[in-house]
Amino acid sequence: MKGLLRKIYLEVRIPVLLFSVALGLVMFLLTSLLPKVLGSMDTFLLKMPFIKPLLSAFIGQDIEGGFTTEMMQGFLWIHPSVLALVWAHELMYCSRLPAAEIDRGTIDFLLGLPTSRWKLFVSETIGWIVTGGVIVGCGLTGHLLASSSLQPSMRPGLFAIAGIGVNFFAVYLAVGGIAFLISANSDRRGRTIGVMFAILLVSFLLNFLAQFWTPARSFSFLSVMEYYRPAYIIQSNAFPWSDVICLGMIGLTAWTTGGLILRSRSVCTV
Amino acid sequence: MLAIETNDLCKSYGKRRGISDVNISVEQGEIFGFLGPNGAGKSTTIRVLLGFLKATAGRSRILGKDCWSESDVIKADVGYVAGDVRLYSWLTARRAFQIVSEIRQRDIAPRGFELAERFRLEVDLPVRKMSRGNRQKVALVTALAHSPRLVILDEPTSGLDPLMQDTLMLCLREMAEQGHTVFFSSHTLSEVDSLCDRVAIVRDGRIAACEPLQQLKARAPRRVSLIMNSAQDAGALQLPEFATLASRQEARIEFELVGSAAELTRWAASLNIKDIAIGQPNLESLFRQYYQTETATS
Repeated sequence: MKGLLRKIYLEVRIPVLLFSVALGLVMFLLTSLLPKVLGSMDTFLLKMPFIKPLLSAFIGQDIEGGFTTEMMQGFLWIHPSVLALVWAHELMYCSRLPAAEIDRGTIDFLLGLPTSRWKLFVSETIGWIVTGGVIVGCGLTGHLLASSSLQPSMRPGLFAIAGIGVNFFAVYLAVGGIAFLISANSDRRGRTIGVMFAILLVSFLLNFLAQFWTPARSFSFLSVMEYYRPAYIIQSNAFPWSDVICLGMIGLTAWTTGGLILRSRSVCTV
Repeated sequence: MLAIETNDLCKSYGKRRGISDVNISVEQGEIFGFLGPNGAGKSTTIRVLLGFLKATAGRSRILGKDCWSESDVIKADVGYVAGDVRLYSWLTARRAFQIVSEIRQRDIAPRGFELAERFRLEVDLPVRKMSRGNRQKVALVTALAHSPRLVILDEPTSGLDPLMQDTLMLCLREMAEQGHTVFFSSHTLSEVDSLCDRVAIVRDGRIAACEPLQQLKARAPRRVSLIMNSAQDAGALQLPEFATLASRQEARIEFELVGSAAELTRWAASLNIKDIAIGQPNLESLFRQYYQTETATS
């Protein structure tokens, strides 16, 4: 396992460093801009009222009563640049084995070594969880650093931040588990990323539409975003157990299925 | 215990041809040649043996272990070089030794450096800066460095210059002398001819012949050059069944001998000839016969 983990480290250290720094910076900037944005938000919504339902749908909360500090803090964690950074890392990482390895033919080298496919899969998984932890941790650090300069009333509680962090990481696990499953069935990295991108887009849209279009509500449980509600966590100050368990189960089921498929499939690079 | 044993091994890719009823047995310490034109099924057979592909039917064993279910255990004793070597762009030979040592749980670095020196390989040069031949060397050195009981090489000389090809052949001979088994796949007959004890010829995904090289050579045609006393004698000469005419030019007749030299000498003794020259068994010609049959069939 040590050799496999070393190989993963050598391959992903630079992208992970870049994603971590980028997410830390983005979270720092978004949090620092929080008072400024919040101050001009009501004026903005008055000028452009049609934005209200869209914003409501986006954060999953009704903003008719005004855009509160909690909502803004929650908005940080569903900001497109935050999600894009984490998912970009995830799509790149989780499509490595076996899709990218088969695609570039390097899997012959790996499979020629005395290690089982399951061990390969588990070592990739360790790398995925660790790198995810590092990237999300950097995002949280950026947020906490910027929060310290905010007025106390604008700072979310540590319990709420921990809850959002866990919920965010659970989304990471669910999306990664599905990406591993798609990758296990594929011989092409591009195809894996394409399918995952489509799944994420549909998931995002479904969750978005479900807020103001009734027919979409019946299917919203299919979206991973349905189980990610940072604004609600901050407002209720409750730990999102059910969402985390649900996302964890999605990730675990998809990941296990992917592992079993990889173990039993033929691998052909020619 | 056999090094490799397959029984009615089949692998189908749906519409694409795979392999059918492949039966091979390779003794330990043997250098076994696996010969066939491109697309004949050599790599597919090797991939089934290494557990990359699941056989559609039949059985395959390496060193007594099942190639699919015990694949990871088998590979502790196997060194493998793929036909088309693809390595990580960041990999250097030194890093490869470190990673492979950790995975194999034995230090392959000393032997790796020794082989790298023999193959004149720069151990700190990353793969992205290497020529195809050097990438091939990294794969070879990494596959041989743990002194495996069985070496499986899929067209290993592609990209290597003639000197390095000789070094590889020498290495493999040395390993065979020490009791290691070599399974050498190639479409180049001269390589197999100079190296192997026994050869299997694969054609259309099936084993067309599997026999000792000496036996194969005995069946291989030889070019015979016969010089008669006169052009008139040459023109009148009727060739026997075991000879296939290649050319007739004045007093010289050239033909391929498909049979024993004893038959030829008996027949030649009855003729009025000036000179006779018998060439080496032409494996290339025999191989071409197999290949042409395949082409004609397809």
